[in-house]
Amino acid sequence: MASSAQGTSVGDPLLDKGREYLNRLEKGPWPSYVTELKKGGYPIDAYAKGLGQGFSPWYGGSARIPAVFVGFIARRTKDGKYTELHFRVYHPSGQIYRTDDLRKLLDIADQYGLGSVEAVGQTGDMIVPMQADKANAAVDALRAIGTDLGGTGDTYRDTAVCVGPALCEYALFDSLAIRDFYFQYPDIHSKLSSQLFPFKIKLKVSACPMDCSRATHRSDFGFVGFWEGAPAIDQKGFRERVEKKEVDPEKLAKQCPGKAIRWDAATKTLSIDGTKCQKSSNCIRHAFPAIKAGPNRKIAFTIGGNAKGRWGPKMAKPVAVLDDARTVAPFIVKVIDYWSDRSPHKDRLGDLLVQEGYDKIVAKFKDSLPVETSGHVPGAPRIVTSSVLSDAERKTYADWSQAIAHEYEG
Amino acid sequence: MSATMARAPVERLKKTVPVPYTKYLPDFLARNVGHWADRKFHGAGIVEHISDTGDHVFTVKIGGPSNIRFSTETLRKFAKIADAFGSHALRFTRSGSIEIFTESLAAAQKVQREAEAMGFFVGGWGHTLWSIQSCTSYLTCTTAVVDAPSLVQVLYNHLAPYFTGKIPLPAKLRINVGGCPTSCGGLVSDIVLTGHYGAAPDFDQDRVRMCLPMRAEVLGKVTPEVQMVCPVNAIKSFPKPDGSVGVEIIAKKCIGCGRCKDVCDHVVWDPAKIGVSVLIGGKSSNTGVGPTLARVLVPWIPAQAPDYRETVAVVRKIIDVWRADAESGERIADWVNRVGMKRVFEQLKVPLGRWNRPGELNTGFGVRQFLPR
Repeated sequence: MASSAQGTSVGDPLLDKGREYLNRLEKGPWPSYVTELKKGGYPIDAYAKGLGQGFSPWYGGSARIPAVFVGFIARRTKDGKYTELHFRVYHPSGQIYRTDDLRKLLDIADQYGLGSVEAVGQTGDMIVPMQADKANAAVDALRAIGTDLGGTGDTYRDTAVCVGPALCEYALFDSLAIRDFYFQYPDIHSKLSSQLFPFKIKLKVSACPMDCSRATHRSDFGFVGFWEGAPAIDQKGFRERVEKKEVDPEKLAKQCPGKAIRWDAATKTLSIDGTKCQKSSNCIRHAFPAIKAGPNRKIAFTIGGNAKGRWGPKMAKPVAVLDDARTVAPFIVKVIDYWSDRSPHKDRLGDLLVQEGYDKIVAKFKDSLPVETSGHVPGAPRIVTSSVLSDAERKTYADWSQAIAHEYEG
Repeated sequence: MSATMARAPVERLKKTVPVPYTKYLPDFLARNVGHWADRKFHGAGIVEHISDTGDHVFTVKIGGPSNIRFSTETLRKFAKIADAFGSHALRFTRSGSIEIFTESLAAAQKVQREAEAMGFFVGGWGHTLWSIQSCTSYLTCTTAVVDAPSLVQVLYNHLAPYFTGKIPLPAKLRINVGGCPTSCGGLVSDIVLTGHYGAAPDFDQDRVRMCLPMRAEVLGKVTPEVQMVCPVNAIKSFPKPDGSVGVEIIAKKCIGCGRCKDVCDHVVWDPAKIGVSVLIGGKSSNTGVGPTLARVLVPWIPAQAPDYRETVAVVRKIIDVWRADAESGERIADWVNRVGMKRVFEQLKVPLGRWNRPGELNTGFGVRQFLPR
């Protein structure tokens, strides 16, 4: 297998130190990523050097694949010794594979790549380190098995979905089909191949309020399934669960965040006030299927969530309650176009909503929506994950953490 | 050169998307889409899904290595296990586990034994540690400050009994570790560790010119991108005597967010001052208090490879205090919301400063934004 040079460590104490760290990272009880990487051709010494020196070894690099502009990232080390090229590769919706299909993908990772993968990256794609001289052929090989390079840079990224109706009882609509739809929607599909946007664009879909795809926080356009009113109760089935002591009705009532549940011990009847129900799904999770989502299924459509943006991490803001997530595709395209015309590089849609007023932007495009807008925005302070500290402040926190370390190490 | 190179470039631009999803599903899932009617857990790592068609699927959840890095060799072994004992299919979760599908509890238990024989752990459902997410950091990323994959490896080494369910937790626990202030996995995990500089970063004055306009006379008409991206106007550009553009970071204004580093490789810092901030109480699910972003508990603690002793100890301490104080079913956010952030700070004896004031968690997001008030 071709790979980047493993380099010798003569006269490089930082590399030696890093290699020693890697050996230690292979010795714990949890299966080691270092061991996995070492089995393939990933340039492990570049990583070792990074660990030894205490900062990332990588600069942005460059690679050219004819007529492919999105889906791969090239790196070079600051010392010029190593390069790294990786593809992001679309999974089928739900990341479910027949073993034969998975082997086809692994064959590509072996034949054109370095024999290891990051199974699911944060964007939702499989990360496959590649051999630079085989990158072009690797694109064709991926397309031949029905997939492609995913999203990188300032583009429409992968669409993250929960496993939905393929393997979940709680799914209230077909989240997987929504991913398929948006991938193929012409004005979105054309956005997969270029990086002409201010920043990344993410769309996530969760088929129930438990929001496994994290649509509420981590997507510019988010869909979350819920129901209107109270959950549906099968009183006979629920009574049986109570009699078998599988469910404690008093506990369900106590844990309900909306205080919507009442248990009448005399008649052994459970009632839920739909106007108070917060859709927390606590009773559903504990008493399923005797309690399930109510019959009037809806989809909450939100915009402007992000982890990364000018004004920091945000929760998404409400747009409308939908019957079908497909019906807002024209709205989404218009909002993307508006944001693209206005926002400077590295500002997310959520940042524009903060700057111009989210209600003004929603109002501007509300004619593209199939229903009236609705929802309210709770207040939220700006969150900064970093800090700039004086030496004295760092010492205070270091002392505190070291005292705890002593407590655990005796 | 492959055969498809003959495609016109404009054709080659088009992406081949893996749709429709039904084409990729194994038969036993394809015939049950939308028919799942009930579920039962068999321990922390096996779940039984029951379809109204009469089918049962027993799924085994196997925890992946840090940053979900697998060799193809290991994945082929899992595929072989899925063929030998399972339903010839598996799934990757977005949090880094492998789920192997089987037809019976006995088969699922065989898969569990095979995975454990390979050194992997089975668990991660119910009141357990579901996953620790890691960004790629020093493995491929240019903006990383702290190396998340090695830190997550060490955390997993210490916290494995919480994943398997051997030591019970009050509720689900998710941990996310990001190597830079971007915190790639987001703030909707119960515990979030975010690498950062610990002090204001600086520019590598020899190289930063590669990120700046060539000549100073354009200043006024053009704002250098590295200055424009700063959310707090902490970057100043100015003409230098030789006619080139100079740029500097005003440390007093800087919040250390790293956005300048996002657009310019030539931002530097002192590796001796790097560390992680510790945030608690994030979650995406609408259970309990609903979706909420994690809040800063401690703005900085040391994060030194390869043992990360302080970082690991602080995470263990947070878990222990939560375990002792929370009611059953309370995730960290629910617990913090009930007892108040102030009490959590007191229990942990966290020194207070200008970057960590015990505010409350902000709630009411997600579907709750659409409910009657």
